[in-house]
Amino acid sequence: MSPALILQVAIGGILMGLLYAVVAAGLTLIFGLMNVVNFAHGALLMAAMYATWLIHRSTGLDPLLQLPLVAALLFGTGVAIYRVLIARTLQIRVNGAMVQIFTTFGLSIFLVGLAQLVFGSDFQSINASFLGGRTLAFGAVVLPLPLVASGVVSLLVFLALFRLSRTEFGRALEATREDFEAVALIGVDRDRIFGIGWGIGAAAVGIAGVLLANFYYISPDVGTNFALIAYVAVALGGFGSILGALIAGLVIGLTEALTALVVDPSLKQIGIFLIYLAVLMFRPRGLFGKL
Amino acid sequence: MKRIKRRTVLTAVGASVGVGFARRARAVEEVKIGAVFPLSGNAAAIGQDARHALETMAEIINGRHNIPMLLGEGGGLSGLGGAKVKLLFADSQNNPQIARSAAERFITQDGVVAVIGSYTSATAVTISQICNRYQIPYISADNSSPSLNRQGLEWFFRPSPTDIDFTKAMFDFFAAIGEKTGEKVQSIAIIHENSVFGSDSAKLQARMAEAAGIKVLANISYQANIPSLSVEAERLRAADADVVMPSSYTSDAILLMRAMHDAGYKPRAIMAQDAGFIDPAFIAAVGPLAEGLLSRSAFAIDAVKQRPAIPAVNALFRNSGANKDLNDLTARELTALQVLGDALNRAKSTNNMALRAALRATDIPGNQTIMPWAGVKFDETGQNIKGNPVILQYQKGQWRAVFPFEIATAAADWHIKR
Repeated sequence: MSPALILQVAIGGILMGLLYAVVAAGLTLIFGLMNVVNFAHGALLMAAMYATWLIHRSTGLDPLLQLPLVAALLFGTGVAIYRVLIARTLQIRVNGAMVQIFTTFGLSIFLVGLAQLVFGSDFQSINASFLGGRTLAFGAVVLPLPLVASGVVSLLVFLALFRLSRTEFGRALEATREDFEAVALIGVDRDRIFGIGWGIGAAAVGIAGVLLANFYYISPDVGTNFALIAYVAVALGGFGSILGALIAGLVIGLTEALTALVVDPSLKQIGIFLIYLAVLMFRPRGLFGKL
Repeated sequence: MKRIKRRTVLTAVGASVGVGFARRARAVEEVKIGAVFPLSGNAAAIGQDARHALETMAEIINGRHNIPMLLGEGGGLSGLGGAKVKLLFADSQNNPQIARSAAERFITQDGVVAVIGSYTSATAVTISQICNRYQIPYISADNSSPSLNRQGLEWFFRPSPTDIDFTKAMFDFFAAIGEKTGEKVQSIAIIHENSVFGSDSAKLQARMAEAAGIKVLANISYQANIPSLSVEAERLRAADADVVMPSSYTSDAILLMRAMHDAGYKPRAIMAQDAGFIDPAFIAAVGPLAEGLLSRSAFAIDAVKQRPAIPAVNALFRNSGANKDLNDLTARELTALQVLGDALNRAKSTNNMALRAALRATDIPGNQTIMPWAGVKFDETGQNIKGNPVILQYQKGQWRAVFPFEIATAAADWHIKR
């Protein structure tokens, strides 16, 4: 095993990890804000990928240029999901958590079924993009350009999310998370804050969807592959922690890649779950959790 | 000896006439056949195509046609007084447990005469076992794992070749093309998904490689629908074998092909174990990367000279809503229903014992089907012994039959020399 191979695999793992982290960031944001686990997160990723594919097919707009467009689209979708569905479940006094789980789970089944109805079950893909199929070579290390670009954009997303937490809105978000009844007293509209929180969470996963559509296949079921990893990343990084999602995503991506290099690749998720178990045993709230 | 009274005899005769009459009066108008396929989930594309394929064959049997093959004239099942075939579909979601309960529901609630399935071999295991328990034939249309007909089941029938036949055809091809061009295969790298299909396929390939004196430089397994196969591609590149031999479903086939490209690796030759690599969605996704790809297949759409029914059947399939040409999987699914229809005709009954006896007596010449096989004839395990596979190569945007040389429609593009 040459050092170049190890380096290449490690960098590839880190880049993939950044993408996992962005998917997880959206999830952890929503959870941290209002203690709702969004089981439709994978379906939102799928929706973003189909949106990218559809826009590309009808206008020829390169996926990379679609980033703001699809992010805005998903932001709107997130706000709508909150207003139409989640806000109502918050009013339920008995077994509210259960209702929220079933609501988002049902939404996921609905969205996947809708995609199959509208787009059919065939695998779709974007073949002619600016980045697609290109590689970047540093000596013996060859990296696919779409993955490099997605890594860069993912970092920017995290930068934006960290900056956001320092703004007025970020403080309102934080305050609403701490005690939404108290902030209502000082005139902060809970539904508005929560709605925007859902919007940002969905926009993050929307960006991940655009980046993925550059090199990944698109099918109604595609979200499931990433949702599981996102849930693990959120639990590993600590529920509600953006920094935790970033670190956990990186740890998962790197572990997955390096495990696949030394043991049989069918066992590559073992590394991830071993770390996850260790964290659960010694630090059950996750690496950066505040619970 | 007791004398049988005349009245007793008359009563008995009358009763038997009555029974016979009653049975004729209730002659079947419809024969229900259950089809279990993944209609949603990660293999939904395959399942939806299977549905179109089976519906096409049902339409051929039920309608009026003039297709030069067995049952190609239509008019219903002649052995059952022109009864129509009625297909019932269930979604397995590609989950063995769901597949099993779907098959059980078909048998106990819908009263199907047989079950057809199921794409993935993992779901075929549970379906075939439940069918065996209820003594209803399971027609394995497109499952290729060799272990399926070795379960000791009495109600299992598979018209299609298994991965043993398919894999043997690959190594036969390696030997023949090596002989012909002087470019002999000396090493292979195997990559496979780790459920029944991929593992069985890889085991066979490793064994047959050893028997042929070919080195196995890598044998990599992965879990289906994994988010990334780039490390796997790196390991293949590091192994640098003469031929890469993947056994993958569509999603992973797309990922693997792109990952190898992204790693800057172009294998000298790829010999695929069908499945995902033959899916039109795969070709659409990877485009020119598929050029030169070899795959085993049970079907050759361009063998029109030897199988004149292909154009008409393909046209019906295209118009059934599939909007694509028949491929290896859909052709096998369609043929499975043809084999079952033929058995029902000869059984002249929907009774399970009669149907099994008829299936066991099946002997269809290859030219009465659309398949390039010698024919359909089952051994005692329910496996067709006359289903010889072909090797296809994707050349200039088309799948061409390149082996066996007798039925080849194009010469193989073969350059593995270092």
